[in-house]
Amino acid sequence: MSDAILSARGLKKTFLSGDRRIEVLRGVDLAVGAGETVAIRGESGSGKSTLLNLLAGLDAPDAGTLAWDGSPDTGAARRVTFLGIVFQSFYLIPELDALQNVLMAARIRKAPASAEMRRARTLLARVGLAERADHLPAHLSGGERQRVAVARALMNSPRLILADEPTGNLDEQTGGAIIDLLLGLSAETRTTLVLVTHNAAHAARCSRQLMLHGGRFA
Amino acid sequence: MPWYFYLALKQLFPTGRRFPFFTAISVLSVCLGVMLLVVVLAVMGGFGFQIRRMIVDTEGEIQIKAQGLIGDYRSVVKRVQAVPGVAGATPYAAGILMVQYENKPAFPQMRGLDMASVENVVSLGRFVTAGSLDALDDDSVVLSEGLAESLGIPVGATLEIYTPLMLVQRDGGVILPHSVKVAGVLRIGHQQLDSSTVYCTLRLAQDLYGLARDVHGVNVRVQPGANEDDVAARINAILPPNTRAFSWMDSFADFLTVLRLEKNMMMFVLLFVVLVAAFLTMSLLLVLVLKKTREIGLLGALGASRRQIAFCFCLQGVGIGVVGTAAGLALGFTVVRFRNDIVHAITRLTGGQEMMARFYQFSELPSHIETRDLVVIVVAALVLSTLAGIVPALLAARLKPVEALRSE
Repeated sequence: MSDAILSARGLKKTFLSGDRRIEVLRGVDLAVGAGETVAIRGESGSGKSTLLNLLAGLDAPDAGTLAWDGSPDTGAARRVTFLGIVFQSFYLIPELDALQNVLMAARIRKAPASAEMRRARTLLARVGLAERADHLPAHLSGGERQRVAVARALMNSPRLILADEPTGNLDEQTGGAIIDLLLGLSAETRTTLVLVTHNAAHAARCSRQLMLHGGRFA
Repeated sequence: MPWYFYLALKQLFPTGRRFPFFTAISVLSVCLGVMLLVVVLAVMGGFGFQIRRMIVDTEGEIQIKAQGLIGDYRSVVKRVQAVPGVAGATPYAAGILMVQYENKPAFPQMRGLDMASVENVVSLGRFVTAGSLDALDDDSVVLSEGLAESLGIPVGATLEIYTPLMLVQRDGGVILPHSVKVAGVLRIGHQQLDSSTVYCTLRLAQDLYGLARDVHGVNVRVQPGANEDDVAARINAILPPNTRAFSWMDSFADFLTVLRLEKNMMMFVLLFVVLVAAFLTMSLLLVLVLKKTREIGLLGALGASRRQIAFCFCLQGVGIGVVGTAAGLALGFTVVRFRNDIVHAITRLTGGQEMMARFYQFSELPSHIETRDLVVIVVAALVLSTLAGIVPALLAARLKPVEALRSE
């Protein structure tokens, strides 16, 4: 796919566990187009999170190539604007309120001006947390924290959102609401979404599903 | 504001939350170290400053002495007063006396003053607590407060004086004392001077010591802003070879060197307190890095560079240093401000007030802090705190985002 936002070829990753070499990924090929929503499913230990870390540029593959929008530059500086990541464990900074957590993504890019402040407030309103902007993470529920994390992922208007089991720590109903939010925002902003999930129902709502098995897509 | 600066501040001083324990402990340790340095150096500096004040207030900044006696002192005083930078000069005679009041003896220092010129150099009048310096004539003396108290002698009473000269002149007869009236009492504020000194006219001192028209020396006051060493050098240029002018620092060079050495040693030793505080800060920041491992991973995932993450933690060391140093300075100056109240409270409890005054020569705890000492304290505290932040910062920067996010 020549106009792929995300393309990976022959990604391999091996971990050492004591004397044992565990081949987690054995040559993964993937191409995701602009605006596409792709679900990656697989059993526990199938390498979904490892693949997502490679796709996010957080870890280096042992072999294979990765390109974001056709460019092999997947460094930290480019990640700031190209990519938004949503984690299973939210990872909010406990000292910052919801608004400042969302703004942190913008701060890392540059010192936020009033435009960024307005966007952060708009995003919090969009995820239904306008009234809780000044609340610390400790005072938010799990679902609310994940919604803050979603807003943070969208703060820099990324081309691609990678979501790693975003509903893993939430109950069924709250998890469903988060998936609604992610898919809704992806559609609104025409942002590509790669969703790693166990949940077949959530995966079914994406435009494409991929099953990771034995270190490769089945 | 760069994000790492913002986050460092937020982690140290979160808004709307309790002061974090680790911040409080780190800031307190630096604060106590700085406070200790400020208080000790202020008091040590105070001793030196007090000694200078005591010498200069009672003898002027420069003393002129000869190998023997100074003969034509009027000519010497006249020439010295013409030297640029000299504000005034006055001759003096000094020695030891035996005094007696109602069979109570004492052996004070004698200081013979030229009443016509003494106020040009030494303003003793402001130290008088009873009687008057103006009433001092050839038949009277002014006593230091401690001496008057120890003898129990009031102003107006008669005091008997014996000098070593009387022993030479007795020719086997009975020694007859010189009787004088007590014209006044003065208190300078230095225990040694206040405990045992008799002030009399120059003529009486010359009579008591058989000096005829000679004197033991000349005290010189320099003009405000003039350098006492430069003025002493200019005076030496016009003095005869056997007569020399010494600035007060030359006269007490050994004592001042010891005092300076003591102060520098105290600073060196007390800097270890700040060093220990820096190690405490470092260990607490290391714990913070471990506690925040997943947040460090998140920052990396959001696109923060390793250098920025290192800055974030290093700045926390700097922040602790800045706040701790500022608090330490404030606390130190407060303790220095109320030092005498604190010391009096302690000595009241322990009953050692008089002993302290006798031992340390000063009735009040002196203090004087030099800008140079303050600069050394502030720079040392800030540098050590910054260094304390570097090790945790490097540890944080070395964490790989993916491993940090995976940590439990």
